[in-house]
Amino acid sequence: MLPAPPTLLSVTVTTSSPPRAAVPARAAPPPRPTPSWWGGLGSFAAGLSLLVVLALWTSNGGLRETASGGLPAVTAIGRLSGLLAADLMLLQVLLLARIPVVERAFGQDRLARWHRFTGFTSFNLLLAHVVLITLGYAGTVRANPFAQAWDLVVSYAGMLLAAAAFALLALVVVTSVRAARRRLRYESWHLLHLYAYLGVGLALPHQLWTGADFIDSPVARAYWWTLYVGCAGAVVVWRIGLPVWRNLRHRLVVEAVVPEAPGVTSVYLRGHRLDRLPVRAGQFLLWRFLDGPGWSRAHPYSLSGPPTAGRLRVTVKDLGDGSARVARLRPGTRVLIEGPYGRLTGERYDGGPVTMFACGVGVTPLLSLLWDLPYRSGTATLVYRARSEADLAFRAELDRLAVARGVRLIHLLGPRAERTSWLPAHYASHLADAGAVRQIAPDIARHTVYVCGPDSWADAVRTALAAAGAPAERVHTERFAW
Amino acid sequence: MSGVSGVSGVSGTRRIALWIVSTVAALVLLFSYRTSTMGASGPATVAETPAADTAASGGAAQAGATTAPGTKTYDGSVAETRWGPVQVRIAVSGGKIVDVAVPTYPTGNRRDKEINARALPILRKATLAAQGANIDTVSGATVTSEGYIESLQAALDAAHIS
Repeated sequence: MLPAPPTLLSVTVTTSSPPRAAVPARAAPPPRPTPSWWGGLGSFAAGLSLLVVLALWTSNGGLRETASGGLPAVTAIGRLSGLLAADLMLLQVLLLARIPVVERAFGQDRLARWHRFTGFTSFNLLLAHVVLITLGYAGTVRANPFAQAWDLVVSYAGMLLAAAAFALLALVVVTSVRAARRRLRYESWHLLHLYAYLGVGLALPHQLWTGADFIDSPVARAYWWTLYVGCAGAVVVWRIGLPVWRNLRHRLVVEAVVPEAPGVTSVYLRGHRLDRLPVRAGQFLLWRFLDGPGWSRAHPYSLSGPPTAGRLRVTVKDLGDGSARVARLRPGTRVLIEGPYGRLTGERYDGGPVTMFACGVGVTPLLSLLWDLPYRSGTATLVYRARSEADLAFRAELDRLAVARGVRLIHLLGPRAERTSWLPAHYASHLADAGAVRQIAPDIARHTVYVCGPDSWADAVRTALAAAGAPAERVHTERFAW
Repeated sequence: MSGVSGVSGVSGTRRIALWIVSTVAALVLLFSYRTSTMGASGPATVAETPAADTAASGGAAQAGATTAPGTKTYDGSVAETRWGPVQVRIAVSGGKIVDVAVPTYPTGNRRDKEINARALPILRKATLAAQGANIDTVSGATVTSEGYIESLQAALDAAHIS
């Protein structure tokens, strides 16, 4: 491996700290790697569910009515958009039901983005459904559409509930539009968002009782009941049951709070039977510190050290969002967790060279991976981007890693570049993004690469990696802000 | 992202309790409305007694009672449609259809009633004009029309009108 030219990228290897004893081993082996076909199967199932909806609608004459044109077409398309909206809504519930298989196959950052996308899509379909059905029905009996809409709501089975469902879903969607979301306190937004569950549930009766595609088709009824019951079950089991059970079992409490760098704090936690908590280095959990008002908001923090049988460590940067209070946590404070989640783990690691790119507090999961991955001495590199030397966290610990595990440390310090670049300003002015990657690791294509940092920075790294020849499937990244 | 911004614990908890109570109250009100539980008992189909006929209706292909000298009524079979059963009764005199009644048609909800109130007179007129089952379905009432034609054909068969 070529050392980076010191004129361009400074390589820092400190040997002053004595090597520390190895981290205590875990009693239980970490979970088995996630089979890569899980993701494919999940996507296939989601696509299939939309096809099933389309097929049921077609077999019920939907296509024929659409082809015949006129009002039957308006009504038929209105029905289809309603059915697709319902299917997407249920998929959305499943996306965020914290189903372990789904979490491990896709990762929560991707799931959250898809959830947002399907949410808006299904609401647009819902709007189309409401408008088309009203117009179609009104046209058939030659009524005024507004009178027809009123009539639909007050005299058709389950329709008052459906109208309430629509109002609730509209509320959830409107408060999630970015402009509105920024103005709302997180707690208010979150509370309002829970009404989406009620909205989805209240929409069911009108489907079953007045839905043309339900009344006559036992297959359709069976399909929708399965979907609804499955979704409700997934939420109860994984979104509620599993976290409750884990918290009762592990009973985490704060053990110590240690400052790491300006605004960066580590929290050590202890609990019961942590060896049975299926968490891997590089993963994150959702944390609720029971230290007073505002506890109800969960924060996603990565483990910054490898999980051990006795304790966990997370490291938090004060982003002005309540994470400052972490620094004031008292030992003994009880802690609620959800998780573990996250795919930035060593489960795909093949034993070859490793290069990691960290920016700011994004170093935390990579630090735990550096302790955890079984790389050979001298084959791992950590590129650590920070604003200034004072902003580097874990200096002593990284130095220990350099000595104990032969980790090559490259610190990239300085203000942000003017162009979009993952490099600091004074490097970016005379060094190409991909060129810098090749300088750090000329054989980057053979490396397992981990990237963790703010979205725009991580995107710039990935672009540079691709340009430098690193295959996408060997680049592991997770967004820590979403 | 703010976890602490100024919510005091007591008022926060009280506010959440208030939200929950209001939500439950709203749900109770919603479900107390008649349409919110009506579907649970199954769709209703009303069989209406034909005004002009006092005879007991029989099955398909069975001659009915006489209503006027030389006039006989015939009931069609009950056609099961997606929205409910449809049955047609014809009055035949001298080999001609002189009247049509529809004692049974779907009235499960307001929409059925509205659609059929418009469609059935059209179908009746068309039947009298065509003197047979070779009539068009009524746009917007395809389901009832198809059931109507099926039952009508059975009634015609019973009356031996081709």
